[in-house]
Amino acid sequence: MGRKHQIQITVNEEEYDLLVHPNRTLLDLLRYDLGFTGTKEGCDEGDCGACTVIVNGKVMTSCLVLAVEVDGAAITTIEGLHQGDELHPIQQAFVDSGAVQCGFCTPGMILTTKALLDEMPDPSEEDIKHYLAGNLCRCTGYTKILDAVNSAVQLLK
Amino acid sequence: MKRFDYIRPGNMDDAIAALQATEEPCVLAGGTDLLIGLKTRTVKPQCLIDLKGIPDLDAIQYDNGFKLGALTTVRDIEVSPLIREKIPVLSEAAATLGSIQIRNRATVGGNLCHGSPAADMAAILLAMNSKVEIATGNGARTIELDQFFSAPNQTALKPNEVLSQIIIPEEIERFKGIYLKHGPRKAMDIGIVNIAIVLDADAGSGLCNQIMIALGAVAPRPIRARKAEALLNGAKLNPEAIQKAAGAAADEATPITDFRASAGYRKDLVINLVARGIDQILKSNCT
Repeated sequence: MGRKHQIQITVNEEEYDLLVHPNRTLLDLLRYDLGFTGTKEGCDEGDCGACTVIVNGKVMTSCLVLAVEVDGAAITTIEGLHQGDELHPIQQAFVDSGAVQCGFCTPGMILTTKALLDEMPDPSEEDIKHYLAGNLCRCTGYTKILDAVNSAVQLLK
Repeated sequence: MKRFDYIRPGNMDDAIAALQATEEPCVLAGGTDLLIGLKTRTVKPQCLIDLKGIPDLDAIQYDNGFKLGALTTVRDIEVSPLIREKIPVLSEAAATLGSIQIRNRATVGGNLCHGSPAADMAAILLAMNSKVEIATGNGARTIELDQFFSAPNQTALKPNEVLSQIIIPEEIERFKGIYLKHGPRKAMDIGIVNIAIVLDADAGSGLCNQIMIALGAVAPRPIRARKAEALLNGAKLNPEAIQKAAGAAADEATPITDFRASAGYRKDLVINLVARGIDQILKSNCT
């Protein structure tokens, strides 16, 4: 039981051919097999949003996705945003706004913000709160995070 | 997680055949409930049968009413322009489930099949007189959603059956609706009490032509408050009648006490939310 499956995925525009056990989560695959440790493991039950990644353009909590389910998918992790030494404008906005405290929620916050702004380039305050509601910050930095998203909206214009 | 096999059938017949051919199988839709069960080992399948390889099972169709493929994501229901236009309350209820990350993954069929008394899609679809189509080894059968739920985490699905479609009657489009979910926070929590109401009333006279009231998280399964509905159908919706019906709805509820709330508090919530819901529908001109 538990025969391995061959999957092919693209992570941050690089292709991977992998053999995975069906019970391997996408989170564990990214962190432990491929070394994308920017994807954080928080609650491991889909509540905290720290493990958020973008799969085919949609944010998901990677702890609730099996690696075998995403065969053929294109995945973006936090490591896929910067261009060389240049931070992505959303990352820069988080730095400039002081929206990073301990940093554990930051990759998930930034990826969810990216999905939001790809979908809605000029979101309202309510849109932002609704979209980011699944990303918890235990440093209570939400005000700065909202500032960062608004600042990112301007940077991307 | 314990080890298990994984099969991704390309059509419904193969999925049903796989259910029959494997030992201790379990159907996988979006996985947002199932993976937690696998991690806590409350579910211990030997084989997962992933329905996501079946084409069009995630399609929203419209033909004299909506037909939602069982794998339609809750997010697709939330943002579908056609659903927002014709039955916006379904989209509003969808927006209350989990988070964007969960809604991108969770499916309407999975939400129903998990059988939680607090399932957000269950209460609203129940209030809409929805039907469910079930694929069997011997063709499909269609039953009322109200017949689908049996007990906490149990449904009318037999071992070799798969929920394939949710059918919403066209007449619901002339109703106004509301979904009220009471809880300490808006996202990532199940409701302490969920109330779904759809109402067809004469704006001028305030006469109730037809009302459907569904209650979530206050009984072993999502239920319809049939006695409350009977009190209001054909009656004038004045404050006394609404209050009496809200009380009847609370009498129909059989909530439990748990860490979220006491049974008594839940009953009080039913009274307040049913009355508030009807009131808000009457005051709005939306839907």
